Formats: sequence, structure tokens, C-alpha cells
Amino acid sequence: MSKILGNPRMLAIVIICTLVFGASILGGALGSAFGFGFFASSLPAIQLPAEKVADGFSTPVGKWDVMNTMITTWLAMLFLILISLRIRKNLKDVPGRLQALFEVIMEFFLGLCEQIAGKEHARRFFPLVFTIFIFIVIANWMGILPGFGTVGRIAAPEEIAHHHDIHDYHDPALADSQHKAAESKVEKHDAHHTDSHEGDHGAHLDSVKLHIFTDYQSLPIAALSPASLNEEVTFAEYNEKHGDVGVGKRAGHLVPFLRSANTDLNMSLAIAIVAMVMVHFWGLSILGIFGHIGKFINFKAGPIGFFVGLLEIIGEVGRVISFTFRLFGNIFAGEVLLMAMAFLLPFIGILPFLGLELFVGLIQAFVFSMLTLVFAAMASVSHDGGDHH
Amino acid sequence: MGDLGINLPGLITQIISFVILFVILSKVLYKPLVAMLDQRAEKITAGLEAAERAKEEAAKSEESIQEQLQEARAEGQKLVTQARETADRFREEEMTKVREELEAERARAESNIQRERDAAIEELRKEFAGLAITAAEKVVKTSLDEEGHRALIEGVLNDEGSRNN
Repeated sequence: MSKILGNPRMLAIVIICTLVFGASILGGALGSAFGFGFFASSLPAIQLPAEKVADGFSTPVGKWDVMNTMITTWLAMLFLILISLRIRKNLKDVPGRLQALFEVIMEFFLGLCEQIAGKEHARRFFPLVFTIFIFIVIANWMGILPGFGTVGRIAAPEEIAHHHDIHDYHDPALADSQHKAAESKVEKHDAHHTDSHEGDHGAHLDSVKLHIFTDYQSLPIAALSPASLNEEVTFAEYNEKHGDVGVGKRAGHLVPFLRSANTDLNMSLAIAIVAMVMVHFWGLSILGIFGHIGKFINFKAGPIGFFVGLLEIIGEVGRVISFTFRLFGNIFAGEVLLMAMAFLLPFIGILPFLGLELFVGLIQAFVFSMLTLVFAAMASVSHDGGDHH
Repeated sequence: MGDLGINLPGLITQIISFVILFVILSKVLYKPLVAMLDQRAEKITAGLEAAERAKEEAAKSEESIQEQLQEARAEGQKLVTQARETADRFREEEMTKVREELEAERARAESNIQRERDAAIEELRKEFAGLAITAAEKVVKTSLDEEGHRALIEGVLNDEGSRNN
């Protein structure tokens, strides 16, 4: 002990660690209960759907908006494409580091493909399996980077209300000023109009949780005053305590610009759909149309066979769903865990979980790609092949 | 579905994004890299085969060298043995010859000595007889004829000689 304290370098490390530890405990949510909490971040509103970053355009199937998960998807794509272009450009027989890294990973997956699907189909399945793996890994790991889920814009109450399918909410502050402006112009049924609206959705909004953001150097950053920790209230509670939402302070949601791609069900569902479509495409092209469809709609083996075929169809749908929710659930839970830890113990609480999330991100990517490979291998084998030959 | 955040435009966007990534990576990354891996595997296989062949060849040549060495050693051994035998024989012959020569020499020397001695004895005897006669003549002078003296002295000398011998 005295040896450690005698060494100035070790002593400095010990002191810094102690300070960080103390700051973490006092500054976090724990300390805020005792009046500290100077590093407390707000616990961001956790919501399942991805947040809208920019308005898009209307399409026949609904409104298309730029979501923050889409931006992350594109960033991950861009990263992968740039890396592959770089490797492509410097492709050498004696590989450089980057090429060697990818060669090792690709060799590993090629080996797995050959083991599971056999030599004849391995080359065919490999590109999809590897794309799934590398994309999910990169997207997951990107989501752990600082700035993801924390840097964003603050959405106004109208927007939140809109998000909760309440399309006729108006910020009382804005409504007030509009009301006054309108009053001077038209005095007819303005007051009545506003009142009816207030009554209309006050009930809806009571259940919506809000964070109160004090204006921080007028930057749209989630750098919040400690007070915000305690001020997670519903509209109704807030109105009771502070009067109108719009007076002095604005209430809003943090809408991060970037959010881990697989915390959006659209993304994991998209990969699952592509994977299963490709699996069935391979099934069709390897076994032929009747060979593959015959697994699902089977009249040859009597009523039991037909029933088994129906179960197979249900199983295929189940695969898509389990694919989607396994990936989404793991990554979303990881994000929430990281947020919660950053909220409880800033700096140190998050450290072990960052490692855990790296691991989970890798494992989920591997599981997704391996299941795709196994399904593809299963689809490329005829069902009655084993029994009759 | 809306609560889960699944909406058709978003889903389609993500599907298209993923398919684009899939196609681009297939074209840009997998195709050339897998081709390169295959090529390298081939090259390595060829290299290993060549190495195997070279090793076999080396082993073969090693064997032949060993064989030749063995042969050379045997030959050398044989030569040495032969040489030793020749040398032995030669020495033996030489020795015999020298011994014979020596023997001959000795015999010759012995016979020479014998002869010399015989001659010397004869000479001595003759001289001694003359001397004795002369001396006796001088001593006795006429008391005996010469014939009688000689016979007497001869007799004495013979006695002496056989005694000396």
C-alpha cells in the first residue's frame, strides 16, 4: 500500500479514480436524491418507434420521413462501402492489415458455410450471410458510439402530441399568442374554439410523460440542468405546478439525430424479410418449384402431410418474427440499459455495459447470419429425400 | 404496428438500403476477395506440392549420395586392405631375402675365416717345422740325419697339434 502511495504516478491514478468514482456516485441519480446530482443527465424518453429527423414526402403507402435509424443505416452502409472500396483498391496477394482482417473473417464464414451448407452451396449462400453479419455488427457497434441517442433536437409538445396520434394539440403558449393576435383581428368564436380544444385532448396528454429542458445556450443538445431529473412529469402535473407549459420553459422530447439502426423494428424486419426471401429463392432454384412448394402444400402424404405443410408455413412466418424481435429486443434493451446506467452512475456505471453491448452486438449479428445460413441449408434439402432414397 | 414503429415506407426504405448494400458488397468486396483467396489457396497448394516433390527429390539424391559414399568407403577399405597385404607380403619377402643374404654372408665369412685359419695354421706349421729343424740342426748338428729328425719333429708336432686341437 505504501509502495503504491509512494509512487507519484500511482498516487495520481488512485486520486483520479477516487474523484471520478465520487463524482459518479454523487453526480448521478443516486446523488441527486441527496441534493447533488450535478452530472445527472435526463433519462431520455424511451420510445419504441424511431424518431423523425426530417420531413419527407407522401407516398401511396404512407408518409415517408427521414428517421434517425435510417441515417444510422446509411452511415453504416457508407462505412462498409468505403472500406470495401479501399480494400478493393489495394487488393494484393500479400495482404495489408485491413485486407488481412477481412480475409480472416471471410475465411471463417466461408468455412462455416461449407460446413453447414456443403461445398456446392457454400459460395452461393456466403454473400448474404456475410453481408448480414458485417452490417449488423457495424450498425450495432456504431450505436454504442457517443452521440448516438444523446445528441439531437428538442421536439416541441405539438410534435410529441402528434407522435401520440393527437393531431390537434397546440402549445398553450403559442395558442395564447395566436389567440391574442387572432383576437385583435377576428373576435367571433376564437375563445370558444380554443377552449374546446383544450378540453378535447387534455385527457389524452395526461398520460404522456415529458422532460423539461431548460434552455442551454440555445443549443439543441441534451445537456440538461440537474433539475430535469426531478421534473419528469405529465402534462397535467406540469400544468398544475408551473401553469402553462409554454410559459418560461418549453417542454419537449429529445429527438436524437442518430439512433442505433437495429433499435428500429423496420430495420430488423427488413433484414429478416430479405433473408427469408433469399432462403426461399434458393429453395426454389435448388429444389425446383414443385420440390420447394411441395414442402408447404403437400397433398401426397394424406391429411397429416397436408397439416404438417400448414405448420411449416406458420413456422416460416414465425422465423421472420423471431429473427426480427430477437435482434431488435437485444439491441433496444442494450440501448435502454446504457441510458439507464449513464443516468444512475455517470462515467463508471456504463463501462462494463459498454463491453457487454459490444459482445451482444457481435453475438446477435452472428446468430442472425448463422440462422440464415441454417435455414438456407435446410431449404436446399428436399424433405422427403432422406426417407425415400 | 404503428406503436411498434413499423411503417411500410420505412420498411421498404430499409429493405432497399440493405439490398443495395448486399449488391455493392457482393460486387466490390466478396467477388474479388474470394477470388483472391481461391487463387491464393491454389498457389499454396501448388507450392506445397512443389515443396513435397523437392523434398522427395532431395531424399532420393541423399540416398544415392549415401549409397555412393558407402561404395566409396567400401572401395577405400578394400584398397587399404590390399595395400596392407601387399606391403606385408613385400616386407616378408624383403625380410626373407635380407635374412638369406645375411645368412649367406655369414656363411661366406665363416668359411673364409675357416680357410684363413687353416691356411695360417698350415703356414705356421710349415714355418714352425722349418724353424724347429733349423733350431734342432743348430742344437744337435749332426747327431741325427736330417731324415730322422724330420720324422721325429713331425711326430712331435702332430702330437702337439692334436693336443692343441
